[in-house]
Amino acid sequence: MHVSHSVLTWVAAALTLGIFSFLWKDNPFYKFCEHLFVGVSVGYTISLTWYNSVYPDLVTPLFRQGQLLYAIPFVLGLCYFCRFIPKVSWLVRFPMAFVLGWASGVAIPAFFQTNIIKQIQGTLLTPGIFSRWDVFLWALISFIGVICSVFYFFFSREHKGALKLASETGIIFLMVGFGASFGYTVMARMSLLIGRMQFLLRDWLGVIR
Amino acid sequence: MKLFQYLLRIDRKIIFVAMAVLVMFPLLRPLGLGVSSGPRARALFEAVDAIPAGKTLLISVDFDPSSMPELYPMLVALMRHAFAKNVKVLLCGLWVTGAGLADEAVTTVPPEFGKKYGEDVVYLGWKAGVDAVILGMGESIRNVFPTDYYGHSLDSLPMMAEVQKLRDIPLVVAISAGDPGYRDWLLYAQSRYGMRVGAGVTAVSAADVYPYLQSGQLTGLLAGMKGGAEYEVMVQKAGYSKAYMPAVAAMDSQSLAHVVIMVLVVIGNVAFFATRKRREA
Repeated sequence: MHVSHSVLTWVAAALTLGIFSFLWKDNPFYKFCEHLFVGVSVGYTISLTWYNSVYPDLVTPLFRQGQLLYAIPFVLGLCYFCRFIPKVSWLVRFPMAFVLGWASGVAIPAFFQTNIIKQIQGTLLTPGIFSRWDVFLWALISFIGVICSVFYFFFSREHKGALKLASETGIIFLMVGFGASFGYTVMARMSLLIGRMQFLLRDWLGVIR
Repeated sequence: MKLFQYLLRIDRKIIFVAMAVLVMFPLLRPLGLGVSSGPRARALFEAVDAIPAGKTLLISVDFDPSSMPELYPMLVALMRHAFAKNVKVLLCGLWVTGAGLADEAVTTVPPEFGKKYGEDVVYLGWKAGVDAVILGMGESIRNVFPTDYYGHSLDSLPMMAEVQKLRDIPLVVAISAGDPGYRDWLLYAQSRYGMRVGAGVTAVSAADVYPYLQSGQLTGLLAGMKGGAEYEVMVQKAGYSKAYMPAVAAMDSQSLAHVVIMVLVVIGNVAFFATRKRREA
C-alpha cells in the first residue's frame, strides 16, 4: 500500500467521495463538490476561450496588428450583449441572422450528404452484398429493419393487414435498438464508476498496480 | 411470495454497496477473464497499421474528464500504436474542457518511445467554432492554428512542414463523448475532403454510430471501455507496447457488474410479475 503524497490527489479523492456521498442522500458536502465542479468548469472554459480563440483570433489582429476587417466580427459579437439593454435589444438579430445563415449554408449540404444520401446507399441492396453469405444476411436484415421501422411511423393509415405486420415487425427492430442503447448506457455508467474506483485504489491509496 | 415482496423493497443503498464491492473486488484480485477483439476495433487497428511510417495520424480529442475512464485509454493506445509504427501524431480538440487531457497524453506517451515534441507529435489545442475549424483545416491548418497549444509557431515545428491541410493526413480518429465529435468530422472532413475517419466513442453513444459504420463512412469503431480494452490488447499482442493497460484491467469489473445487473433485472421482473395479482387484488 503506497498512499499518495500528492496534495492534489488527496483533494481529488476527497471531491470524488463528496460526489459519491449523494448516493446516501443529498448533503452539504456533495453540494460543495457539485458547485465547485461547475465553477471550475466555467472558469476553465472562459479562460481557454479567451487565450485560445478571442485573444489570438480577434484582439491581436484587430487591436495590435490593425487589421480593420476584423472590426466586423467584433461589432457583430458586441451586438450579442445588446440583449441586456432593452432599447437596443433588437440588434442581437444581426449576429444571429449571420450565424444561422452561414451555419445553415455550410451544414445543410454536408448533413444531406452524410446523413441521408450515404445512409440510403448503405441501406440499399447492392450487388456487393452477395460477396459473402453473412454480409448478405446482415444487409437483408438491415433493409427489412429500416423499411419496417419506417412503416411503424406511418400514421396516416390504420395499421391493419400488411401494414400491421410491417409495423409490428418494425416495433421488434426498434425494441432491439433501444435494448442495445440501454445495455451500452449501463456499460458507460459502470465504466465511469470503475474509472473512479481505479483512481481511488491506485492513484490515491496505491493498493493496485 | 414474501420473498418476492422483500426483493421488491430492497433499499437502493444495499444495491449500491453490493455494486461497489463487486466492482472493487476484481480490481484488487483480477479474474483474468480476457478480452477478445471484435471486427470493428480490428478495422480501426488495421487502418492505423496501414499508415506508412513518416505519415501523420490526426487524433481529435473530443471529450472531457467526465468520460475520461472510457476514452482516455483509447487515446493512449492509439498514440502508442502510431509511435511504435513511426507514424507521427497530430492532436487537436473540439471540446474546450478536454484540452488538458490531450496535453497530459502528449506529455506522458511520446517519451515511452523516445519521440520528440515538434518532430513526432504536435498538439494544436482547441479553437471555438467546430465547422469553421474543420473546414478551415481542410484549406490550411496554419490559418486555423497559427500556433500550437503551447504557443509555438507551426512554422517552427519540423513535423508540420509536410502537413499543410487535411488531405495530407491519411486518417483521422475522433475520440468523442458526444457533440461536437465524430459526426462533425464525418460531416465536414469526410464528405467534403474525402478523409478516412475512425471513431472512438462512449458506450452511451455507441448504438448511434453503427449506421455510419455499416454504410462505410467510418473506417472503424471503438465503443466504450470495451473498445479501449480491445485496442490495448491488439497493440500489446502485436508487440508494440508492454505498458499497463487500464481498460483491460477494468474489464473484469465491467463483466462482473454486468452479470449482477442482469441478475437484478431478472429478479426484479420475476418479483414484479409474481406479486402483480396480489397488488391488483
